[in-house]
Amino acid sequence: MASRSRLFKEFKEVQRDKKDTDIVLFPDESNIYRWTAYIKGPAETPYDGGTFQLSINVPENYPLTPPVVRCNTKIFHPNVHFKTGEICLDILKTAWSPAWTLQSVCRAVIALLSHPEPDSPLNCDCGNLLRAGDLRGYKSMARMYTKLAASQVKPPSI
Amino acid sequence: MASESGATAVVLDPKSDMQSSVPKLGANSSLSEEGLELNDGTGEGEESVQPNVDQGVAVPAGPARPADDEILLQENSIKAEEAGKMEFIGDKEPLSALAAEYERGNEVFKAKIQKLGETYGSIRRTRGDGNCFFRGFMFAYLERLLHSQDKTELPRMRDRIERCKQELIAIGYTPFTFEDFLEIFMDQLESVLPEEGQPISLSELEVRCRDPNVSNWAVMFFRFVTSAEVQRRAEFFEPFILGLTNLDVKKFCQTSVEPMGEESDHVHITALTDALGIPVRIVYLDRSGGASDDALEINHHDFVPESAPESFKPDTSGLLTLLYRPGHYDILYSL
Repeated sequence: MASRSRLFKEFKEVQRDKKDTDIVLFPDESNIYRWTAYIKGPAETPYDGGTFQLSINVPENYPLTPPVVRCNTKIFHPNVHFKTGEICLDILKTAWSPAWTLQSVCRAVIALLSHPEPDSPLNCDCGNLLRAGDLRGYKSMARMYTKLAASQVKPPSI
Repeated sequence: MASESGATAVVLDPKSDMQSSVPKLGANSSLSEEGLELNDGTGEGEESVQPNVDQGVAVPAGPARPADDEILLQENSIKAEEAGKMEFIGDKEPLSALAAEYERGNEVFKAKIQKLGETYGSIRRTRGDGNCFFRGFMFAYLERLLHSQDKTELPRMRDRIERCKQELIAIGYTPFTFEDFLEIFMDQLESVLPEEGQPISLSELEVRCRDPNVSNWAVMFFRFVTSAEVQRRAEFFEPFILGLTNLDVKKFCQTSVEPMGEESDHVHITALTDALGIPVRIVYLDRSGGASDDALEINHHDFVPESAPESFKPDTSGLLTLLYRPGHYDILYSL
């Protein structure tokens, strides 16, 4: 199946190219369609110091359709669902194309952490803080949850 | 890398903006009980943003917002239903089939279809899934070669595809992200123009172009080719793109060329025909002109790249022709 061979290529690429130290990405031992990623909260954001675990489910007709990505680590961000960890990112929906890879999706999620989009919120309270211009409130909430939920998260050594 | 533009989080495309924000309007108010529990330990500051949560009262009960994957699943089931009605590529039908669609329709359309009948004998419909230009173009091209058996086309196309590949790599695309798509298209071309042995039959070509595992992958090949060409000649395309959208060239390619289902416009057609050196005529069926007008003209536009081989050019029987009705392309055949 085409998706499988593509995923193996991505796996090889991830193993070969380890220079992106902000992302640890690996497939399930027994299932190439299930991946886990650990991403570092970007510097100069309230997520700095946190590590966030993502679960990535790859559909069978990948890469024509996007992977389903969830943030398993609690995070206070306007575009991440506070309960389910669902991520609102255009490339995971309508703007998806096979030019993206699981690795570049992780980079896009990191970019989203740096550039919240309060106008299409999944976390309305967080979005409202930003829309009201209460940057201080947003930052303190986000920092608190980073500290509570994400500061102890560590990727397995692989 | 396609990804490094960083702005990925920003939903600029008005269409996708609608889709991504609309379902979310009723979204959860996020600071749920879990949020509270966590807060209890740490105390301060949050009250200001907390709705007055009193176990279960705070969040107005409404239908839960479906998750994105559920929305995608539903979209896919709608697509599957549509697929049952119309193949990716239909059968070749006499032009009267088109006339039948407008039997009780607009007079201008009726007059134009009659006029169309002076030049064109048949039509082959395509599914209106946003990929119809690329799919129609692909099928018309392969079918033409199946008939002409013009063996010079294979090396010419190989050369074109190689150039496109180098271009994509130069822009920063990872080869494995597009190679599979190029390969699948080349497989089809080689089956139609085999270096030895018999070409596949027309019905086999139809079967393949109706099979999502072949057809969609080949469509994606055309999208990559188009994207590479638009980016290679960014300066040339930029004003047209700015006229259509408010996106820069890179973002336009990422949101309006590369994703499956994004419709094609002049920019896409110009880029694709230039990149591959294959002309196409687009015949416009619209309401311009009056039904009683004796000199009723059917507009068409020829996209003729300079590098096109003679055999595909206008005024030859090899010219690929698509019928455009607002939002949709089908394949037309001369009498």
